[in-house]
Amino acid sequence: MEVLQKFGRMPAGLTIPAIAILLVVVGIPTIQLFLTSLNAPSFSLVNYQAFFEQRADVVILFRTVTMSVVVTAICVIIGYPTAYLIVAAPQRLRITLVVLVLIPWLTSGLVRTYAWTVILGDHGLINNLLIYLGVISSPLTLVYNRLGVYIGMVHIMLPMMILPLLSAMQGIDKSLMAAARSMGARPFAAFWRVFFPLSLPGVRSGALLVFVGCLGFYITPQALGGLSDAMLSGFIADQFQSTFDLAPIATSAYILLAIAMVVLSVFGFNLSDVQGRPAQISHRARLSQFSSLGQGSRYINEIVTHYRAKRWASHLYQVAHGGTWSKLVGVVFMLSVLVYLLCPGLIVIIMSFSGAAFLEFPPSSLSLRWYQSFLGDPSWTGALWTSVQLGIATTIASTIVGTLAAYGLSRTSSRLRSFLIMVILTPITIPVIVVGVAAYLGLVNLGLLGSKTGIVLAHSIGAIASVVVIVSATLANFDRTLEQAAQSMRAGPLRTFTRVTLPLIRPGIIGGAVFAFMHSFDEVVVTSLVSAFAVTTLPLKLLENIKQQIDPTIAAVGSLLTLMPLLWLVALYFVWRRSRLNASHMLTEPAT
Amino acid sequence: MNLHLGNVTQFSSKETALNENPVAAQIEFRHVTKMYARIAAVKGVSLTVGQGEFVTILGPSGSGKTTALMLLAGFVAPSNGDILISGKSVAAVPSYRRDQGIVFQNYALFPHLTVRRNLEFPLEMRGMKAPDRVKRVDRMLERVRLAEFGDRMPSQLSGGQQQRVALARALIADPPILLLDEPLGALDRNLREQMQGEIKSLHREFGKTTICVTHDQEEALTLSDRIVVMRAGQIEQTDTPEALYDRPTTRFVATFLGEANILEIRDFKVEADAAQPSGTVAVVRPERVCIAAPGAPKRADADLRQSVTGKVDDMIYAGPLRKYQVRVGNSMVIVREHVASGQQTFKPGEEVCLGWLRSDVRFVKS
Repeated sequence: MEVLQKFGRMPAGLTIPAIAILLVVVGIPTIQLFLTSLNAPSFSLVNYQAFFEQRADVVILFRTVTMSVVVTAICVIIGYPTAYLIVAAPQRLRITLVVLVLIPWLTSGLVRTYAWTVILGDHGLINNLLIYLGVISSPLTLVYNRLGVYIGMVHIMLPMMILPLLSAMQGIDKSLMAAARSMGARPFAAFWRVFFPLSLPGVRSGALLVFVGCLGFYITPQALGGLSDAMLSGFIADQFQSTFDLAPIATSAYILLAIAMVVLSVFGFNLSDVQGRPAQISHRARLSQFSSLGQGSRYINEIVTHYRAKRWASHLYQVAHGGTWSKLVGVVFMLSVLVYLLCPGLIVIIMSFSGAAFLEFPPSSLSLRWYQSFLGDPSWTGALWTSVQLGIATTIASTIVGTLAAYGLSRTSSRLRSFLIMVILTPITIPVIVVGVAAYLGLVNLGLLGSKTGIVLAHSIGAIASVVVIVSATLANFDRTLEQAAQSMRAGPLRTFTRVTLPLIRPGIIGGAVFAFMHSFDEVVVTSLVSAFAVTTLPLKLLENIKQQIDPTIAAVGSLLTLMPLLWLVALYFVWRRSRLNASHMLTEPAT
Repeated sequence: MNLHLGNVTQFSSKETALNENPVAAQIEFRHVTKMYARIAAVKGVSLTVGQGEFVTILGPSGSGKTTALMLLAGFVAPSNGDILISGKSVAAVPSYRRDQGIVFQNYALFPHLTVRRNLEFPLEMRGMKAPDRVKRVDRMLERVRLAEFGDRMPSQLSGGQQQRVALARALIADPPILLLDEPLGALDRNLREQMQGEIKSLHREFGKTTICVTHDQEEALTLSDRIVVMRAGQIEQTDTPEALYDRPTTRFVATFLGEANILEIRDFKVEADAAQPSGTVAVVRPERVCIAAPGAPKRADADLRQSVTGKVDDMIYAGPLRKYQVRVGNSMVIVREHVASGQQTFKPGEEVCLGWLRSDVRFVKS
């Protein structure tokens, strides 16, 4: 008890509300699930045996892992050059490109998945175009098979790969590449020997995020895949609808969780630390010296030595040519990636203005009829209203709790801090379907299943994690001596916080709040499990309609869901810019 | 600090084909201009650096000195003009096809490679075989007194050690040219003096044509054979350190390199050996000015001197030096005096007599 009191007085005590919510909603239920999967109190591995004896289950498990690995690999292959090109671009262009990559990440995954069905379908955009051009005579099967799933999942996951890569690559000191070139390394050698090894922490973080994301995200494979493309997460969600027996569900969830945990612990848990610290790098470098890979590359290196020596002598002080081709290839590659990322959203927006009675692209006439039908249908507006209410409630709760936690964490010793951050970020680092199952059980415990309060709690655990990430980033740049200065002027801790700290970290808090709202407004996996058909949010209603493939009202809703985050982004931009302008204004203002 | 390790550092020429190049190269800038957007970072610069010479480019930030180094290193190409190394035009030769060693401002040591692998890098890129590389790295590590640090990571070294690794890495492939970008900027004062000695002894030993870029005048004065003072993309003056300090030709050089008293004509008539050319101002260095009580006996060389009276405004004591600010008319004259025993000191408000040799007055373009 005494320990607990002491903890409460420490700065880390500010994380108590966040951790309490986390424990009640998913923490304790996760333990319950584990016990259920082990058939407690009799404790046996019957459920696991049953799972692995079912051939179909094992096939699904194997498929889940393979598909996640393939998607991760494709994301690395596409994402790495994309991030590299963005980092290499001049500053203005770079910011634009980052925003363009961010936009799809912020807009509803559900809507973009829906857009792919329109683009890839038998009478979809691509088939129509190819038939029109006479390339093919009958439509290609692009969707409801593995290809469609990969196209859709990579599309969803790619920004999550690119963002950590960007962060890692931007941290690489440019003079290192200059140094390598000055020592005679040709551009490729400089890249391969210096840039690439230093960017590996970004590859690691991105690949982990994508892999774990793939394990838990079932909407896209379900919408774009056939029966033989079902993944374990979808299987869990289906079991949920059909049975009340928790044991097999808990078992599947734990198997999924175990895969995620094994992968995370092999490749490193700490997803928040994208910029690999020097110490870590050195550790890794040491390891790679002993690894067979290091040996192999050194062996190859020695073989090319002779060739290098010859080339060095013959090329010394020779003028270099070209570079135009590689530039052209870069531009084409970047444009293709942007088209791939942005097209689905754009198509939904354009299609929503169609005047026809069925979905078509390009629209033959323009009208607002589907917006009217959306606004005139109480079931849609009701869902919208519900989503807005849930979003606002989640935002308020998670912003307060998350900011307190981030503030507490910023003045906690680093070891305790990294542990607590790991705990708080668990909801966004483990497969989302597992979070959903656990939250279901947690809300059953609380008697809140199918209630709005319950959904707000379930949404909050993810939203708190986003708030903590964003506010912590702001606090990391916050000058602690300002607080000491305030305290030296006899401001108490509370006064210091409200008068000095809070105004300075406000942009971070607003950013966190916006992300919390977007998280809640878009959430569909957890919501579908904990709503128990009693509460219908906009994404749930959308999901239901996509499954039934009916009227183009979906396009209008999708277009709204796509445009709204953009509005948020613009609003955020202005908040941040104003605060930065203020700051620079204060600095340039002469002291009077 | 001067280490004489004798033939430890002499690379045998049989060992590799690297040493076919001459030990040092001549560098020539011919009317070089570099435009960024519409702004000229370097404007019509012409400069010749002889074989084995140590030349420092000195200037405030934004003077174009870094661009000059980038041009020389081959990281950027000139918009106009030509750069020659040993008579060959290299304006369009990329950095990796030049034979040069560069010490970067922040050292740019590869953080993912050990000290040893860092030093091997330029040798590898030149296609040297592994056993030769190891031998040469061993010798170089010994030369810079880091023999036991070969397997450390750069982050595990102190600032001075990192600096030595950076120097070793730039020199190890025996390039004819060595470029230093603010080499001592990141070090604290004591270490900086040590490293100045180190750089000087390495230059003496290896005899590379060396170009150093810095904004630190002390660094420039102590290291260089010649100093190029740059301002707004152009060369203001090129000369040996002594000549530059004693005979600056422009007001900018006079005030940028050390302190200078600008003697305003309106306060008193400046007497000098030569007539004052138009468009110039008279300057005298603070350490050439003598300070005395008004009633003090005349010095033996009084007829070679000009003396004025003023009032002490402030006195700053700085260890071996005492610095007075004396108000003469409307302007301030700074006097720097070495502290000696039995010396008379003056307090703010006291009347004093200032004097300097007429031959110490310089006329510089204003």
